Amino acid sequence: MDELFQAQQLNRRTMLQRCGMGIGSLGLASLLQQEGLAATPNPLAARQPHFKTKARSVIWLFINGGPSHVDTWDYKPELAKRDGQELKGFDKFTGFFSNAVGGLMKSPFEFKQYGQCGKHVSSIFPNLSKHTDKMAFIHSGHTESNNHSPALFAMNCGLPRMGYPCVGSWVTYGLGSESDSLPAFVVMSDPKGRGLPKGHAANWGAGFLPSVYQGTHFRPTGEPIDNLKRPKEMNAEQQRRQLDLLKTLNQKHFEANPFEESLAARIESFELAYRMQSAAPEALAVDKEPEHLRKMYGLDDDKCKHFATQCLTARRMVERGVRFVQIYSGGMENQRSWDGHNDIHGNHTQFAGETDKPIAALLEDLSQRGLLDETLVIWGGEFGRLPLAQKSKKPGRDHNPHALTYWLAGGGVKGGVSYGETDEIGHKAAVNKAHINDLHATILHLMGMDHEKLTYRHNGRDFRLTDVAGRVIKDVIA
Amino acid sequence: MHRFLFLAFVFSSVVAFAAPQVSEKHAADMAKGLALFKSDVRGLLNQHCLKCHGGDKVRGDLDLSTRVGLLKGGEEGPSVVLGKAASSLVYQLITHSQKPYMPAKADKLTAASIKKIADWINLGAPYDKPLTEKSVAGKGMQVTEDDRKFWSFVPLNKPLVPRVKNTVWSANEIDHFILRKLEDKKLQPNGSAAKRVLIRRLYFDLIGLPPTPEQVEGFINDSSPDAYSKVVDKLLASEHYGERWGRHWLDVARFAESHGFEQDYDRKFAFHYRDFVIQALNADMPYDQFVKWQIAGDEIAPDNPLAMKATGFLGAGVFPTQLTEKEFESARYDELDDMANTTGTAMLGMTIGCARCHDHKFDPIPVRDYYRFVNTFATTIRSEIDLEVDSVATSEAAVKWEKEHRPLMEALAKFEKEDLPRRFNAWAKNPPVDTQQKAGWMILDHLQAKSLDGATFSKQADGSFIVGGKNPANDRWVLTAELQATGLNAIRIEALTDKSMKRNGPGRASNGNFALSDIRVFATPKKGGKKQVVKLINPKATHQQNTGGLSVASSIDGDKRKSGWAVDFGGIGKEQAAVFEFAAPVGFEGGTVLTVEMDFFVNTSHTIGRPRLAVTAVPRPVAIKGDGRAASLATLMESLKKAGGADKLNAKDRSQLMKIYRAQDSEWSKLNNKVQQHLATKPKPKMEKVQVTSEGFKPTKHHADGRGFPHFYKKTYFLKRGDANQKDGEATQGFLQVLMRGGKNEKTWQVFAPENSRTSYRRLSLANWISDTQHGAGHLLARVMANRLWQHHLGRGIVNTPNDFGLQGELPTHPQLLDWLAVELIEGGWRLKPLHKKIVMSSTYRQSADYNAVKQKADPQNKLHWRRTPARLQAEVIRDSLLKMSGLLDARMYGAGTLDERMKRRSIYFMIKRSKLIPTMQLFDSPEPLVSQGSRPATIIAPQALHFMNNGQVREAAVALAAQFEKKTDDKEAINLAYQTVVGREPTELETKSISAFMQTQAGSYKAAGRNDARKLALADLSQVLFGLNEFIYVN
Repeated sequence: MDELFQAQQLNRRTMLQRCGMGIGSLGLASLLQQEGLAATPNPLAARQPHFKTKARSVIWLFINGGPSHVDTWDYKPELAKRDGQELKGFDKFTGFFSNAVGGLMKSPFEFKQYGQCGKHVSSIFPNLSKHTDKMAFIHSGHTESNNHSPALFAMNCGLPRMGYPCVGSWVTYGLGSESDSLPAFVVMSDPKGRGLPKGHAANWGAGFLPSVYQGTHFRPTGEPIDNLKRPKEMNAEQQRRQLDLLKTLNQKHFEANPFEESLAARIESFELAYRMQSAAPEALAVDKEPEHLRKMYGLDDDKCKHFATQCLTARRMVERGVRFVQIYSGGMENQRSWDGHNDIHGNHTQFAGETDKPIAALLEDLSQRGLLDETLVIWGGEFGRLPLAQKSKKPGRDHNPHALTYWLAGGGVKGGVSYGETDEIGHKAAVNKAHINDLHATILHLMGMDHEKLTYRHNGRDFRLTDVAGRVIKDVIA
Repeated sequence: MHRFLFLAFVFSSVVAFAAPQVSEKHAADMAKGLALFKSDVRGLLNQHCLKCHGGDKVRGDLDLSTRVGLLKGGEEGPSVVLGKAASSLVYQLITHSQKPYMPAKADKLTAASIKKIADWINLGAPYDKPLTEKSVAGKGMQVTEDDRKFWSFVPLNKPLVPRVKNTVWSANEIDHFILRKLEDKKLQPNGSAAKRVLIRRLYFDLIGLPPTPEQVEGFINDSSPDAYSKVVDKLLASEHYGERWGRHWLDVARFAESHGFEQDYDRKFAFHYRDFVIQALNADMPYDQFVKWQIAGDEIAPDNPLAMKATGFLGAGVFPTQLTEKEFESARYDELDDMANTTGTAMLGMTIGCARCHDHKFDPIPVRDYYRFVNTFATTIRSEIDLEVDSVATSEAAVKWEKEHRPLMEALAKFEKEDLPRRFNAWAKNPPVDTQQKAGWMILDHLQAKSLDGATFSKQADGSFIVGGKNPANDRWVLTAELQATGLNAIRIEALTDKSMKRNGPGRASNGNFALSDIRVFATPKKGGKKQVVKLINPKATHQQNTGGLSVASSIDGDKRKSGWAVDFGGIGKEQAAVFEFAAPVGFEGGTVLTVEMDFFVNTSHTIGRPRLAVTAVPRPVAIKGDGRAASLATLMESLKKAGGADKLNAKDRSQLMKIYRAQDSEWSKLNNKVQQHLATKPKPKMEKVQVTSEGFKPTKHHADGRGFPHFYKKTYFLKRGDANQKDGEATQGFLQVLMRGGKNEKTWQVFAPENSRTSYRRLSLANWISDTQHGAGHLLARVMANRLWQHHLGRGIVNTPNDFGLQGELPTHPQLLDWLAVELIEGGWRLKPLHKKIVMSSTYRQSADYNAVKQKADPQNKLHWRRTPARLQAEVIRDSLLKMSGLLDARMYGAGTLDERMKRRSIYFMIKRSKLIPTMQLFDSPEPLVSQGSRPATIIAPQALHFMNNGQVREAAVALAAQFEKKTDDKEAINLAYQTVVGREPTELETKSISAFMQTQAGSYKAAGRNDARKLALADLSQVLFGLNEFIYVN
């Protein structure tokens, strides 16, 4: 036996202790908060929340482009009564197209009541409507911008500007990851060639947080993650031998410098990487799922196969300890996403059709596995849409920052409740208004974190996801 | 009277708060409490709390000057629970049972004082009157002399170099400062690191690349006392220095080359700023100039392209690409905030942006200062302009050219004067018949013109046609003419102006433009025969809309519909012409029918409005210019005939005919050709499109231009809570009060713009203030930069929050040293290289990284520098080093970057597109370029290991490196070279043994797999292992 190999007998636990990878004990007052820190041992190590809660992971179904609340979950009978009437005093610059403002327009969809809670749901969700008793609706949401990317930034990062960490980054920064072989924060975007959400990667960026907290964007086509495949001329044994040699040499070097903690952490990182090579493809292998389950998600249905694959992948991810998954429904704008400027009927029928069955299956599947309790599922987009018609051959609806609906399910959420109301036509949030900061505060709370205490000091200021506002919406918490 | 009312209010508020629990005991308690307040508590509050909480400042939003304020509390909630001192926040803070300890940055109160305050709270915390007569709460923060006493704001004085006990360790003054602090703690620093370690440290630190084995050995074998100093000088003089240290600055400058937001449009000409940074650092540009140019290079040195490029700094921030009317103004305030904030943090370590919505919570920056500072940039915008680069070289070349050109001109003039008239007269006696076709452009005035979609052509005296009638969406013209001439070399299409068109044309589109999507020429022998295609080459035009799909070349690019010659952006209202040369001469004996087909499909109703066609037989290359002579030549020849000799012609006709003749005179042509050919070599100014941030230039195009986005607003307003909809008066330019000393105000630095100036000179005023070490911010400017140099050399700033020198920032570990370095910087004419040298020559810098348990315990974070802290290489250095070691590095500097990860230039030449950041750079903690970043973390995560294991670029470098080692046929020698290349030393015996064994197994396995390059692959595997060594990535 090679003498150097004996040196490796230093076992993993000793090494982890020595290199401080149990950083969790330091809690949120992490060393990371100090600017200019020379070395940061594993910044993704799992950390304790501020207080104990059920939720461990988040799956955010981002309904990209701005779903129309009055055509989905926010039932407005008054709108039907006033169909075609002009809305007096309407500010024509509310939406994006000031020159195409039409009259009030009733929803082209039929609403029926579902579940014990008797929630009115639009006919575009034949499957999701069966789960209303799991959902807590927030109808009084409102945001800052009437334009896609600032509104996307606001919804993802708290401010309608570029450069701030997104919710997924904050959550991962606060809690670390429970998986050592998968990315902590995964983002999946439209795989049908309809583009990325507006503002692209800034929507899952870490802003001024260390870049380890940014979302890992799975490439919609081809290899989803970088550097997972070993060089083509090399087989598994050859690479293993390479890593063994590297470990031997690094170990010897570490022995000569036993107090440099980062050296040990880096030795360990190669072992993690080696495991990731097989763990990541395994986690993505939705074809390993039983037939009936794949069918339940809609993998056999061309209309929704792509989103079904992503939802099923999301479940496999959270099952394996991934902290935060975000899936975007739709690509960029107009007909490529829920951005129904033209033909709201056709647009929402199409995108609801792409997502209804997969999301319903996700809720069902999580619930059957007992994972729903510890997984917070979020449904919603960057803004709502106007109750007025946007004039067009087939009428659509324009952007509306004053009202939007979100629903939350699982992860400590109280099912079957509705919080807040819009006015009687759904134009503006009216009762118990909930700003996006409040939504974020609630999400963090459900994850066991106090939004006022989850801070990061950058350029002289302690930044928060909720800036200087935010209020936890207790009514939606079980 | 006023006073009375005020007091009444205070009393009533006491009553109001106490009302729910009025009892006899309560009244008695309150009376006791009031007595205690008057006797002791007021004094304590006044002395220890008021200054920050209700006096000059209202820190943490807590105003203790009134009882209302006390009860309301601050950001942390109510400060007292009446009757329960132990549960009161104030009590917890002053007893140091909770942070932040109070009083801030002062000693704990005495136990007796604390007890008095506690009793007072327990008694109901009554006030008889406010602590101050005039609470400033709500009226805005006042900046006082006291604020200017904070360590970073005070003027610089060069500190005395401290005495130390250990007299042998120090190499220069720096070491005295460091050693003194260590000695105070009874610690001794480490000795010098080994030469092998030092040379790697220097190379990575100063140029970001590893030394070659030869460079290592050269240094080790150089026993001269200045061996180390020579290496330092060499590296500081290396052009790689600017590429290494420029990258540090680009982090601070949040530099990127795209807008961000929706579409993330590229800023194609933003790279010039990056080039400025590299060039300036390499030239050791004084730092004050470096800063001033970035703020106002366009006002300071408008004729210097480098100064113009420097202004890229202000405009490097993000900006939305799509805006609604509601967002115009707020987006502009965001942009101004980005400029002000980045200037503040990058140059001054001042977090100015924190005062956008309210007075700064910690630093003495009132919200008023913020908006007055912001006003500096009110009219400053991004533009793309054409700049003459390297004008010096151009003018030198012009002189040289002029010198060469003169004799050629003289020879021609001499010939024209002495020989030409005689030869002309001789010729004119019997002019040859083919005169006409050699005479330049022959206008096709007998053209038959036909529009396929109903336009009409009316012939003009000058041989042109005015197009009228229907203006079809798309049109094709077929034009035919009969010609006798042979040897034709080109056709010219003129698009003349006419009042029949919008803006006089030259096209019929609503904006005066046209777009010729395709042109085809055919020649048919008149005698009968096949119609032949005439191939068109070398297109040129007097003007073209762009160099792509609207260029003249795109009219013969094979695409008949989508692209074609157009002339907007400078060509409207002017006569235009295009020339297409014939690939082979055209013209049949006995006459030719020439057919010209012109398509106008690119854009709706975009035909030419007044075409004129001409052909020529002059030799190629054919110039566009030159008058047509269809009519005039015939007339001249007629006159000549009538006059009976050239000498008898009138002067005008004679001169015209002479011009036609001389083109056919072989001697004249020879001389003229020489002149013409030389003319073509006339040095042209080298023009480059550059993104600048200035005023008065055309703003860079924006998506919302069509909606009327104004790009900037002339006036700046004070905004309530940063909201553009809540304006509160106009803000004129000012600077940070806390950084104006000696009773000066902004007028001291303000320069007023000369009349008709394009810019406002407000940025120049700012530049003057920021660099003024006497009364302005220059002392802080120097401190911040000296700290940045120290930070990157030593791994930790003297101030460990390099972007925050304010009250929230960390205090300097060695304030005296920092001041000494800052003064050294200023006294050295703000040059950075001497300061670099001073630092790296110090014993502090040269220390070994040796560990010592006792010292570690005394100073676990090595704040006192008792040793060298090993540091992980930065993203760019890792990648660049792999390329360098493997011989793949392409050392070309400057110019546009790329997003292609496979490029082999240094990483600083990656294009930085905000939505497509280079994954490898991000993986190793390169920051997102959104806001100024003063330092990077050095994370250790598994995806980094995956990168070393599997990344294609890493593997490519390993294979290339293996090719070098392969030349050593002995494994041991190959391993030796590999170690020396990657870690700068020979392997130990044990290492060699392990590696040899690995090599054999690995090569064996490749051989077994049928590879005939088994050894090379094994060596590549080894190279990859070495890249993964901690010893490589962590530099001691």
